Parts: sequence; structure tokens; C-alpha cells
Amino acid sequence: MEKRRLYIELENCIGCRSCLAACTQCGGHEERNRNYVYDVNPLVNRQTMPLMCLHCVNPACARSCPAQAIQIHETGAVLSALVEKCIGCQNCTIACPYGIPKFDEEENLMYKCDLCIDRTKDGIPPMCASVCPSNTLQWLTEEEIDQKQKQFDLGNDKWVTSMPYLEGETNVKVNLPGILQGTTKLF
Amino acid sequence: MQRDKFFREIENVQHPNEKLIKTHCSYCGMQCGMNLRVNTATNKIIGVEPRYDWPVTVGKMCPKGVTAYQQTNHKDRILKPLIRDDASLKGTKEGFREASWEEAYDLIVKKFTELQKNYGKDSLSVFSGVSMTNEKCYLTGKFARVGLGTRYIDYNGRFCMSSAAGGFLRSFGVDRGSTLPWTDVHETDCLFIAGSNTAECHPTSMFRVWAVQERGGYLIVADPRETPVARRADVHLDLRPGTDLALANGILHLLIENGYADKEFVNKHTNGFEETKELVKDFTPEHTSFLTGVAEEKIIKAAEIYGKAPNAIVMFARGIEQQHKGVDNVSAYTNMALVTGKIGRPKAGVATFTGQGNGQGGREHGQKSDLLPGYRKITNPEHVKAVSKVWGINPEEMPQPGVSAYEMFELMEEKTIRGLYLLCSNPAVSAPNLNFVRNAMKNLDFMVCADFYLSESAEFADVILPSVTWSEDEGTVTNLEGRIIKINKAQEPIGESKPDWLMQVELAERLGRGKYFSHLKTAKDVAEEFRLATKGGNADYYGATWDKIDKQDGVFWPCKDEEDKGTPHMFLDKKFYHPDGKAKICALPYRPPAEEPCEEYPLRLTTGRVVYHYLSGNQTRRIQFLKDMCPDPYVEVHPVTAEKYNIKHEEVVRLFTRRGKSDYKVKITEAIREDTVFVPYHFGHEQSINLLTIAALDPMSRMPEFKACAAQIEKLEAGKVH
Ligand code: SF4
Ligand code: SF4
Ligand code: SF4
Repeated sequence: MEKRRLYIELENCIGCRSCLAACTQCGGHEERNRNYVYDVNPLVNRQTMPLMCLHCVNPACARSCPAQAIQIHETGAVLSALVEKCIGCQNCTIACPYGIPKFDEEENLMYKCDLCIDRTKDGIPPMCASVCPSNTLQWLTEEEIDQKQKQFDLGNDKWVTSMPYLEGETNVKVNLPGILQGTTKLF
Repeated sequence: MQRDKFFREIENVQHPNEKLIKTHCSYCGMQCGMNLRVNTATNKIIGVEPRYDWPVTVGKMCPKGVTAYQQTNHKDRILKPLIRDDASLKGTKEGFREASWEEAYDLIVKKFTELQKNYGKDSLSVFSGVSMTNEKCYLTGKFARVGLGTRYIDYNGRFCMSSAAGGFLRSFGVDRGSTLPWTDVHETDCLFIAGSNTAECHPTSMFRVWAVQERGGYLIVADPRETPVARRADVHLDLRPGTDLALANGILHLLIENGYADKEFVNKHTNGFEETKELVKDFTPEHTSFLTGVAEEKIIKAAEIYGKAPNAIVMFARGIEQQHKGVDNVSAYTNMALVTGKIGRPKAGVATFTGQGNGQGGREHGQKSDLLPGYRKITNPEHVKAVSKVWGINPEEMPQPGVSAYEMFELMEEKTIRGLYLLCSNPAVSAPNLNFVRNAMKNLDFMVCADFYLSESAEFADVILPSVTWSEDEGTVTNLEGRIIKINKAQEPIGESKPDWLMQVELAERLGRGKYFSHLKTAKDVAEEFRLATKGGNADYYGATWDKIDKQDGVFWPCKDEEDKGTPHMFLDKKFYHPDGKAKICALPYRPPAEEPCEEYPLRLTTGRVVYHYLSGNQTRRIQFLKDMCPDPYVEVHPVTAEKYNIKHEEVVRLFTRRGKSDYKVKITEAIREDTVFVPYHFGHEQSINLLTIAALDPMSRMPEFKACAAQIEKLEAGKVH
């Protein structure tokens, strides 16, 4: 099975929130969505962007957890808190640089994106990337991601490929807005 | 078939105790492929799984599609026929009691028979819709004309696709919504999209739209608002609502002036070039800019890009079509492709984004007041003969043409029409000038509504018949490409609900018309008769068997026989459907919207959709996720305009026109023209923006001008900020 990663091209987002609707459809997700879509500047324009767990290689959420409730899957996916271990301290929600983990007050339990581990462990794309109508969220091979990186790395400080710009290394790769800057027009 | 670079072999997740039923979304014309997850113990639909192997949408769905499955076993489903004895409660949800099918049928037969006896056959009417299968659409036409024997049948496509239909018929002689398959879209060099909020209304087109730009191609968008697709356009033509004809003429003028006309194509394959050339001469960039409010340089740039593009596709939607010159707008934008010869080959052509799931198929097979199956005309004796033969009636028995959707309400008001059988539509929200329309429905002598939820229109009914959702029946739908696809049944009808075709058969039997209907025992039976009825028509479905649809991932019409694989690309032989084989380039004088702003009503009101809701919202407003995302309508106002009126973001204001008023929360945004306000139309009762819209009808398509009328804002004393 070829390794694939979640790859995000923020400029494409149309704000449909289908990723959130689809998140609830993953078998293990108890019909609750686990990520976010933001209106970047709602009074000005219609730009939106998804804020997804980036599945950090050295995740702050897991490091901050005193109960080792946040496990890392062999695929690199940073899993949701284990019900039997989570003590509800909410350290992780504060530790995550992007504010990803959500908290269920009633259950006293953290829950977060597990990259649809039921699917991705078998190489099937996560629900969000399956449905995303604009290809903001894609499920790509290493090779395809390399290509994206080449295509969008302008080397002129008008950067496009964001990989070196995030806090620490992440399993999910992101392209911040501006991908069209480097495109050569056909005519 | 047509597997492209987006297609991937992906296995679906198969949970234990579940089976997957492959089908398509219930909502828009994209008809995204999906798998419904069915619990094998309860035989109930419990979820959705992407359909990666559907070549058009490769697993993608918008949030409506993802949650569509929640309609089927929803708590609001009507499970039994309902009767309301107290007519004074019409227009409310009150007073309905459960009844047996027999009692409901008996009452309908008694009332319909009485009305026809006292006031003639044509005192009854059928108002239908196209969010249902071809088989149902087909049978509804037959039910009206043979079952009830009335001339008055029309459908909600008059509020949706009729201008596109009229424009294509005039330009090409045939009305297939797209001249090419969607798998061509990302491979073209320029997309010229006019009046389509593609990202919200047909979201799963977007990965193809963006791919054009990623390849270095161009995106031109004409829209009064900077919608999510306009946001990234190379040129955004931010025109005043209702001025498309001027813009299209202006661009055509520049294309001709700057040498982009394809003389050979024009000479060989079209008529009307010279007079059109003369007419558009007046539409200089300066004059066009004056009429449309779009900067001259943008008009020039757009024409330059479209002209230069080796391949280009002109696409449009309700923005240009829902005007009282919608047909002219369609032909005018189509002119661009005909004059430059960018049509009749792969990756170049013209397409409309079909609004409703079966907006294409549903308009071809006899729900329109003047049409019969296979796109035949009820005014053409040969056509009447062909269809009468299939139906087993005398051609003389075929009723005359009726009137368009909105005009039916006018006939109700004047008591020419006294009874209504409404199905698959919610005109109490979706028709224009709603105060008038709702009143017309209220004053009917007798009204039947078939629906699976108690819609705002059902509130006017005397009898409600519980129909099924799309997932409890099977049949075909024709998507926005003109591809006939198969909807599969995933679960048995819940409660006592029945598919519309079955109700119509059973009613026809009780009306003494059984010999024309009783042989139709399954959806497949209807399908067989339907295919036969289309044979030889322009929209020929005869060769589109369910088997072939399955094997080929759909069949593009026309498809004339068993061997015919169908027609993904239209006009490859450069033959158009007019008798001389030529397309028509149309000279179309500009006329402004029916109602222009004035001192009293200085703003331009335009309406449209949001991504979370479908049509009147009767379905999507009941789905929790979609409701959470967009619970109420709002009015979009530019900050400069807001300042003038001294109104703030989230303040509730009154919006009014000559026809009606409603109160909305203000949404301040720079992504709209200063002279324009926008309200989404998916909401009922006092929240309906269609209380304000104008029923100025296109002379050809009878499409109301939803997209432009004159409005005013009033700041409310108690303008509470939420
Ligand atoms: S599904 Fe894709 S386009 Fe829609 S909001 Fe999510 S990331 Fe954006
Ligand atoms: S993005 Fe946040 S929640 Fe996700 S792995 Fe990193 S630290 Fe944890
Ligand atoms: S509503 Fe339209 S775009 Fe959305 S999933 Fe359904 S068919 Fe696809």
C-alpha cells in the first residue's frame, strides 16, 4: 500500500463545510465533526479556510497529556483521546498551536480528528478529503506532494509552499493561499 | 467511460452488517454519485459513503449531498394520507387528520369529478416539479392529460430552466443543457461563467474549475456579487443585476471587432451573423460599461481572453436566466461561442448549470404546458399522433396547450382553475410575488398535495398524499451534462408512503381511466413505456436502457437504439438541429429589467441560493447540520450602502418592494455591488424573499424576473442587534 498523506491547498476553499458534514460520517466519529472552517475576513470577502489537525510528528497535544491518552498510530495519525485514559484536564486543547482538540463537557472527554483512522489505515482517503468539492483537501502520495512542492515553491520569498513555515514537522502538508502566483498562463 | 485524471480506483469502506447501494444525490443537477449505507438487520438507510467510481464527481459531495440520506427516516415524514375537513384552516399547518388511502382517494375522486362536471375538464390543474425521476415526470404529464383530461399542467422548471431551454432551442434547435461532458471542463483554456454562483450551487464542479486556472487557463465570472468562484476569477465582471444582455452584446462586439470571429464556421454553420454584427456595434465598451456598471477595461480584457483562448466554455445559470429577458441572455452568451466557432468539438462549447436534480430530463417529457415526451410539441399534429399512439388515445383527445406555472396561479385567482394536484414542488416559497400566489392557492375549491414533508404549500391543501423520498424508489434522472443516470432504491417506503407514479396509477383507475394506466405495476414498467414514448423525438431516450446506463456509467441523450452508445459531445459533425442544419446567431436588442430603481425604491434586489440549502428549503431546512449552518435568511449589504442607511451588521431591517416586505438581519460585505442587495430564497412564511420579487415574465420562457427588481430598506425603530 502506497503511503498517502492529507494535503491542504487553502486557496481552493469555497467554505461549503462539506468536510465538517462528512467528518460526522466516519464510523468512529459518533456523528460529531472534529475540525473547523473559518471565514477569513467575513465583512470583506468570501475567503474561507479549513483548520484541520495537522497530525504533528511530535505533537504538542500528546506531549502535554499527563495520562498518555493521546496515542500516535503507526501511520502517523495522532488519535483522539482514549476514553479509559482521558482525565478531562484539557491540557491538550491549550497545548495545540492550532486549537484543534475539542472538549465534550458532558463526557468529560477530549475528542479530535483521528484522520479517519478506520479508513486511512487501509489507504482509503479520510471523509473530508473524499468529499471536498474544491480539492482543498486531497489525499496524495509522497510523489504527488513532492510535485506540488516543486510547482508552488517560488524561491522568491513570495513563498507558496508552506511546509517549512509551520511550527514543527507535520504529517499533513499545507499550501497557504497564493498558489496561483507561480502559474504561467497558457496564453 | 470518461475516466480522467481525477479518477482513482479506491475501495469503499464496508462496515459489518451494512450494504452499500450506489445511487446519486437527491438534490442539484450535478447528481453526484453516492453510496447509501443500509443496515442489513433493519433494512434502513443509516449513512453515506463516497462513490469514488462515479466519473463526474469521483466521490465528492457538498454538505447537502453528505446529509441527504437523513431525509428518508426523518421524524417529519408524512406516514399516512392526511385530510383537512375545515377549509377555513387553509394556509396553516392545523386541522389535518390521518386517513386511509381509500378515504383520501375517494375524496379526491369525488371532488375532482364534481369540479369537472360543473366547470369543465380544464377546471383542474397539475403543478409539478423536476426533483424526481424521468419516469415520474413522464407519467405526471400523462396523468394530467389522459388521467384527468386537463390542459393545465406545468411545473417548477418555469422558475428554473425554462429560459435556458428557450435560448438553446432558438440558438441550436435543440435543448441539451451542456454541449459536452463535465469531464471536459477542467481541460478547457478559458471558462466564461455568467450568473452562476458555482461554488455554492454546484460545488462539485469546483475542482474542475480551479484546475483550469492551475493549468494556466483563465476564469472569467460575471456576477453582481464576488461569490466564492468570482473571488478567484482572472476577470470579475461585476455587473448590475439584469444587464447581462448588454454585457454579452458588448463582448460579442469586441470579439468581432478584434478579429476573433471564425468566418468559415460562421458562413458554413450559422445564420444571422451580419444583422447581429450590426446590432452589437452600438455596444462599445463605453456604452456597455454605462449600461452594466462594469469598468471598460474589464470588458475589454474578458473579450480578449475569451477570443484568444484555443478552447473555451461559456457557462451560465439562473443569474442570467431568471430575468424577463432570460431567453435573450442565453442566446446572447451562446452567440459568443457561435461567432468564434468555439463549439462542436471537445473542450469547447456552452453549458448551463441545471438547477434541479432532473431539471434536464424533467423538462423534456411532457410536464411543460406545451410539450409531450421526447421534447415533442403538443401543437404539432405529427407529434401528438406519435404520443397518442403510445398512450392508446385518439389524437383528438389530446388536450390543448395550457399556460405556464405562474400564469396558472392567475387562472386560479380568476377561478378558471378551481382544483390543483400539486407534487414535487413548493410554490408557496419558490414562486414570485408570493402574496398573490398564496392567496390564489388559498382560494382554490380543492387542492391535493403529494409530498413527503408538510411543506409551506401543503399548508394550503385539503388532502396531503405521502410520497416517498428519492431513496425509496428507482428510476432515471438526466444530470446537467445530459447524461441519463440511474437512481436506485435503498429501502422500502416508510409508513404508508407511495411513489408518485403509483398514486397516479391508482387515482387514474378510480377516475375510470384504468385502461391507460393499470398495466404500470412497477417503476420499470413506467420506464419501458417512457422510453417508447420518447422514440423518434429530439430527446430520444429509447436506447437508454437501465442496463446500458449501468454498464456505461450513464448514457448521454440522444440515444436512439440498442447499439447507440449515446452522445456525450453534441454537434461534433457541426450539424445543428434547425431544419437547415445551421445554428442561429441572434441579434438581440437590449432592454433593461422590468423594474428599474427609482427614488422610492433605489436599490436593486437580487436573490439566489446558499450552499447549505436546496430550492424552497422544504428538505434542507429540516436537516440539522444544514440548519445549524444557515438557520435564517439575511440581506447582504455593501458597507457604503449600510452607512447611508445607518444600519449595522446583524441589525434587523425591513426590506420592501412594491409587492411585499420582510425583515432580515443585515450581513455587511464588500463582496456585493453598492447598488445591490441580496437575499437567499430558501425560506418560508414571512421570511420568504419571494414576497418581494416581481412576476415580470419572459415573453418566450415565461420565466419570472427573480434576479432583479427595485427595493428599499427601512431602518426599524427597534432595530435590535442580535
Ligand atoms: S469541504 Fe473543502 S471547500 Fe468545503 S469548506 Fe471544507 S475544505 Fe473548504
Ligand atoms: S495539530 Fe494540534 S491536535 Fe493535531 S497533532 Fe498537532 S498538536 Fe495535536
Ligand atoms: S447538492 Fe448537488 S453538488 Fe451537492 S452533493 Fe448533491 S448533487 Fe452534489
